[in-house]
Amino acid sequence: MRVPFVLATALTQGDAVPQGPGFLDRALQALVDGIQFGAIIAITAVGLSLIFGTTHLINFAHGELVTIGAVMAFFLNVGAGGPGWHLIPSAIVAIVIGALLGGLIERGLWRPLRNRGTGLINLFIITIGLSLLLRHVVLVFFGTRPQSYREYDIQQALDLGPVGITPRDLIIVVLSVLVLLGVAFMLQRTRIGTAIRALSSNPDLAEASGIDVDRVVLVVWMLGGGLAALGGVFFGLTEIITWDMGFRLLLLMFAGIILGGLGSAYGAMVGSFVIGIVAQMSSLWFPVDLQNAWALLALIVVLLIRPQGILGQRERVG
Amino acid sequence: MSEQDEQALLVAERVFAGYVPGVDVLCGCGLLLGPRELVGVIGPNGAGKSTLVKAIFGLLRIRSGMVTFKGKDVTNLPAHTLVSRGIGYVPQRQNVFPTLTVEENLRMGTYLRPKEFSRRVATVEELFPVLAQRRAQKANSMSGGERQMLGMGRALMMEPEVLLLDEPSAGLSPRFQDQVFERVKEINASGVAILMVEQNARRCLQICHRGYVLDQGGNAYTGTGTELLHDDKVIELYLGTLARAR
Ligand SMILES: Nc1ncnc2c1ncn2[C@@H]1O[C@H](COP(=O)(O)OP(=O)(O)OP(=O)(O)O)[C@@H](O)[C@H]1O
Ligand SMILES: [Mg+2]
Repeated sequence: MRVPFVLATALTQGDAVPQGPGFLDRALQALVDGIQFGAIIAITAVGLSLIFGTTHLINFAHGELVTIGAVMAFFLNVGAGGPGWHLIPSAIVAIVIGALLGGLIERGLWRPLRNRGTGLINLFIITIGLSLLLRHVVLVFFGTRPQSYREYDIQQALDLGPVGITPRDLIIVVLSVLVLLGVAFMLQRTRIGTAIRALSSNPDLAEASGIDVDRVVLVVWMLGGGLAALGGVFFGLTEIITWDMGFRLLLLMFAGIILGGLGSAYGAMVGSFVIGIVAQMSSLWFPVDLQNAWALLALIVVLLIRPQGILGQRERVG
Repeated sequence: MSEQDEQALLVAERVFAGYVPGVDVLCGCGLLLGPRELVGVIGPNGAGKSTLVKAIFGLLRIRSGMVTFKGKDVTNLPAHTLVSRGIGYVPQRQNVFPTLTVEENLRMGTYLRPKEFSRRVATVEELFPVLAQRRAQKANSMSGGERQMLGMGRALMMEPEVLLLDEPSAGLSPRFQDQVFERVKEINASGVAILMVEQNARRCLQICHRGYVLDQGGNAYTGTGTELLHDDKVIELYLGTLARAR
């Protein structure tokens, strides 16, 4: 009940805007943090969106792909009995493992179920079960204690005028944006990318055009698994590695996808940035614990104004 | 019949298929398409015309029966493998990729042979000049008639030997319908065998070499286009008595 009151006073009294060292500086800092958080959500959400677009499967277990990526890299980096590699090769191997895991789940589980004509609701329930299973497998091996990678853990922030960002976080943002641009280029310009869009657009016609739908879906799953693992490493780097980190991110991924427009990969990217920025900016006024709630509130407000999402297309009638 | 059977490009025999377990929509129907032939399939709504084409093309599992293409058994092969063997298909509804541009739609037509795109696109755009003007436009912004052209153009990109058309004239204005039938005749004259499902039975039978009348999942009548056009039963049941007056 305190929250609306703060908002009300902030609105009525012009100079009662939150105190402390320069509100504008803090807002800019929150914006930078939000862009960084949004980039991580976007990298993981793009795969989730492509999987939904091509198969209409709502993959509730996508968060676990994120966690497994982060935990794999942790094991290779500092895990007991692990090889103790530097984080960069560890992350690359974790991404490969994430891609293979995605491919394995598609090949061993979803494809056989699809071919049997299992309904989408049933498949959705199965993803919930899979999520639970994978999360607890991670729990058994990783434990409940939060961990960090050995390298790049504590860094001095670069001072960029009003805002500060550590070199680590700056590189994460730059790499994320490059990866997202790479995905966009692939979707827009390559043969397999166009086939992915064609499949999302009209599955039967894709098959009728000679596209091997199962193969394209496999590629999408491997891409989604690899991106999730990369997002997991980034998330673990900027915050901390825990057994349920991906699950905590899942709701924000869904929010980003829906906000951007269901079924549009570019929408998922844009929506994720909006969600990340709203979550971080909300902590300027409200308790950090409520970050996600404000992000979801933003989702609801946008959907009330634009039901198809930011980049979603209204169905053409007739 | 047996001699014709041997030369036939595409044969479907005693096909049983359906969507719901235990319910057959197709109950033993079949057809035959010879090289360079233009064959029409007509019948009332819900007769199973679209279902038959989908079953032949591997989009719906055949429960019993056989489909052969150029003498080889292709029953229940996935559709994308039939495309590489030389069969093209344009569905009744949703015949384009709405969120892709016209050019990308055509590109997906040569998905299996990307190198042939530039050679084929010239031929297809010659047949459908409207596609050349609209290359960069999204397919979902096109009219029904233009979409039909794009759907056919996409299917022709692979230079198929057989083209399966499901109601190419459905929902089009008379002027566009005329255009579509003209194009179908043209494509057929260039050597492509065509199996065409049509709602516009009279127009279809006028241009077809042979026709099949489908009813409740089985073959009701077959004959040449003119035979069917003047068959009293067919007129009574499927063409309407108005047709007789003409
Ligand atoms: N996807 C589907 N799932 C379940 N039943 C279907 C499906 N498509 C068609 N049917 C049923 O199969 C039967 C035959 O349908 P089909 O579309 O083949 O008819 P049609 O002869 O093409 O009719 P129309 O002239 O209206 O296009 C109908 O009873 C229809 O209800
Ligand atoms: Mg039909």
